[in-house]
Amino acid sequence: MKSPPLIRELVRATNTEAVLWRAEDLLLYEYDALSVMRQPEAVVFPTTTEEVVRVVGIAAQQGVSVIPRGAGTGLSGGATVAERGILIALSRMNKIVEIDLENQRARVQPGVVNLDLSRAVEDAGYYFAPDPSSQKACTLGGNVAENSGGPHTLAYGVTTHHALGLEIVLSDGDVIHTGAKFWDRPGYDLTGVVVGSEGTLGIVTEITVRLCRLPEAVKTLLAIFDRVLDATRTVAAITARGITPAALEMMDGFTLRAVEAATGAGYPIDSAAVLLIEVEGLREAVEEQAQAIEAVCRENSAREVRCARSEEERALLWKGRKNAFGALGRIAPNYYVQDGVIPRTRLPEMLEFTAEVEKRYALRIGNIFHAGDGNLHPLIMFDARDRSECERVVRAARDLIAKCVEMGGSITGEHGVGVEKNELMPLIFSEDDLEMQRRIKGVFNPSGLFNPGKVLPTGKMCGELRIQIGAGA
Amino acid sequence: MVADVKSALKEFSALLGEEHLTTDAATCSTCAVDGKVPRLIVYPSTAEEVAAVLKLAADSGFALIPFRNRTKLDIGNPPERYDMGLSLKGMNNVWHYEPADLTISVEPGLKLKELQHLVARDRLWLPLDPAGDGQASLGGIVAANASGPLRHAYGSPRDMVLGMKIATVQGKIIKTGGRVVKNVAGYDLGKLLIGSYGTLGVIVEVSLKLFPLPGRRETFILQPGNLGIARDLRRRILESPLSPLRMVLLVASAGTKLRVDAPRAFDSSRLEMCIDAGGSDSMLMRIRTMLEGIAKELAVPFESCNAQDAENTWVHASDFRRWIGEGHPQAIVLKICLPISASEQFLSMAQQEAENAKARMAAMSLLGVGIVYVAVLDSLGAADGEHLTRRLKHSAENLGGVLIVEQCPLELKMRLDVWGEPKDDYEIMRKLKMAWDSRRTLAPGRMIGRI
Repeated sequence: MKSPPLIRELVRATNTEAVLWRAEDLLLYEYDALSVMRQPEAVVFPTTTEEVVRVVGIAAQQGVSVIPRGAGTGLSGGATVAERGILIALSRMNKIVEIDLENQRARVQPGVVNLDLSRAVEDAGYYFAPDPSSQKACTLGGNVAENSGGPHTLAYGVTTHHALGLEIVLSDGDVIHTGAKFWDRPGYDLTGVVVGSEGTLGIVTEITVRLCRLPEAVKTLLAIFDRVLDATRTVAAITARGITPAALEMMDGFTLRAVEAATGAGYPIDSAAVLLIEVEGLREAVEEQAQAIEAVCRENSAREVRCARSEEERALLWKGRKNAFGALGRIAPNYYVQDGVIPRTRLPEMLEFTAEVEKRYALRIGNIFHAGDGNLHPLIMFDARDRSECERVVRAARDLIAKCVEMGGSITGEHGVGVEKNELMPLIFSEDDLEMQRRIKGVFNPSGLFNPGKVLPTGKMCGELRIQIGAGA
Repeated sequence: MVADVKSALKEFSALLGEEHLTTDAATCSTCAVDGKVPRLIVYPSTAEEVAAVLKLAADSGFALIPFRNRTKLDIGNPPERYDMGLSLKGMNNVWHYEPADLTISVEPGLKLKELQHLVARDRLWLPLDPAGDGQASLGGIVAANASGPLRHAYGSPRDMVLGMKIATVQGKIIKTGGRVVKNVAGYDLGKLLIGSYGTLGVIVEVSLKLFPLPGRRETFILQPGNLGIARDLRRRILESPLSPLRMVLLVASAGTKLRVDAPRAFDSSRLEMCIDAGGSDSMLMRIRTMLEGIAKELAVPFESCNAQDAENTWVHASDFRRWIGEGHPQAIVLKICLPISASEQFLSMAQQEAENAKARMAAMSLLGVGIVYVAVLDSLGAADGEHLTRRLKHSAENLGGVLIVEQCPLELKMRLDVWGEPKDDYEIMRKLKMAWDSRRTLAPGRMIGRI
């Protein structure tokens, strides 16, 4: 049973339409895009910072934790409930507060959808650069929490490079304002610490972001390879030629066949791998870079290099790439997407290792990744009804992550730690490293009110990936 | 400093070896900060030694300031205490350099110039041009988040740091981030250290992202007749598809002769907008044509610089503070951070205020960034200097920005907080400082709010 006094207080702090608490209404909020966790006590939809402050106060008083949530598209369980708590869903705080084009800034509430911000300024020639694949749905508050990336972060950086200031509600109900509309405000860079902190330090209620100029010209190339190895070698070769594409993505044959079946974007289904490469900038630069890239691809045995001839063709290629996870979802009953990072020169080796893991555990793994960044997203296909297969999936994922670490990489490049990987943190951090991180958390969130059981290891399941894989990954 | 200095000295000596520390008065005085002279300078050569020194300093109640080439030691409030200097000149190793990955990991004492030289052979660079003419060390550059005109296209060290190792006063070496370009594992402690001016920990290794060197370069000079035209030019250029590498506006009072070999503009009351572009021949041709077109429309004289003048211009612009400082030891140098749109208006106010104070001034504005450096050249005396600084601070704040006093005579420094007033996020900053450095061993009193 729910705790009626808690609900009554939450309603009083907001309004009746702002609180969900019946079991059937809460079902959806057990999930994010990773996994299913426990049901929240309630979901509250505040519309102002003051309401957030009031809700935080009630939660603190009642001893229930508070978990901020945007669109619930996260891939590491960050916006789900790990310990008894209420969700603060920020999706109704979705106003673009200010657009200031001359200063290349926008001020937004956390519930604004990523793509909506770009759409609001595109006619004036601007956009918001971080472009996670879920950008049609995911919120900027979620992007800040996860320090989200996307294909175009290769050239433009991730969310932390585009967030200048934050309004944050702390666990004691204080509201602080970090950063500014301008660069270099004196003092410690609290904005930089809170971006990527996965809702464990405070509730972000307003964000000041940088807007970028849309490029004059864009060219999208599709390089087609008969051998995966040639595609992976091409990635480092492009960089070595002094070219930084705006995006450099790779999909293997297995993945692109699924993508092609789902979207009909024109991906060659008989190839072993493709690189999707985008160059942007001045017309002259784009032309020259596209030619240089084509040459590098051919030197590395590309079978064919195509160039999108129209905006429609370009959009279709990207649609295929951005919906790839969903496309693979058509092939097997379940899939589990991993997120690891390696130095980009190690891609060929990593792909070989992935093939080994596939064999070792008798699984099918689709390879799709932000190749230019060395950010891998292996997708492991499985059937959740098969217990033994589920176990193999988790073991395979852990082997892949361990290999990333061994190569000098990281356990997550953009999906976050959440509840999925907090017990893996000791793979890359010593106890001393973690102790200093705990001290940061202790300063912002001393009572542990916000998003408990995420990011830092709890010590309960040492060294394990935490995913309830049978349940709906 | 605590009572038992002698035994502490012995311990430092035992830790590092006698040859790695000095109490020589002359040496110590060269490391003075705002008139405070340390009793001791130590020269550790490994990360472990730095960590041990920090712990020992903390346990002994010593206050310590880390540095390498001392290019930024005058930035900050006067230290509350300053017992020992920690020189990083013995830490210049490059631990890891992978040109194909565009990453490098170095020790903090390595000079920017040395790093550039190393990576240039692979046609790469770290696109930073902060004050110090390449003599500044990577540790200092990162600790101060120091940048120069190249910030227009490439951002600041904050945008280039991939990870670091930090020595703490607990005697530990902790790691944050890594060597890969994307990484969201754990809290981004590196961000906290970037721009912390050595008040939280000492960076003992930093991993950085490198960039390909642009093919060719060309510098263009435009001479807008007044700040209104300069503003129109700035708007036109920022709204165009042109993406210059650097773009600064130089302003100087009439008759301000700064240095004999300085670019011509600084010898007059004209304004000069200097634009550095990079790329292939066809890109430069396009940029030149477009810039020339904009200049023509606004009736602004336009020219392309020869290579020597271009080099000269950027060396001086990057090192604005030192360039000004050389002939004017009493100069007040201010850094004003503003919304981009406010810079010309601020410059106009600054010109007026300087004139009212009967002082000559020179300024450099990073037009696309919103950062303006203003130097008041004439010695004003503490009271007048304070009055002028407060007037300018007020102007900056009215325009939605802040003013930081980067350099000024000590007498003036004693009268104000060089960073300005703390805001509602200060309490968290103070707690972070106490969580990491509870005895306030590291550069106490130097940061905002004399933290």
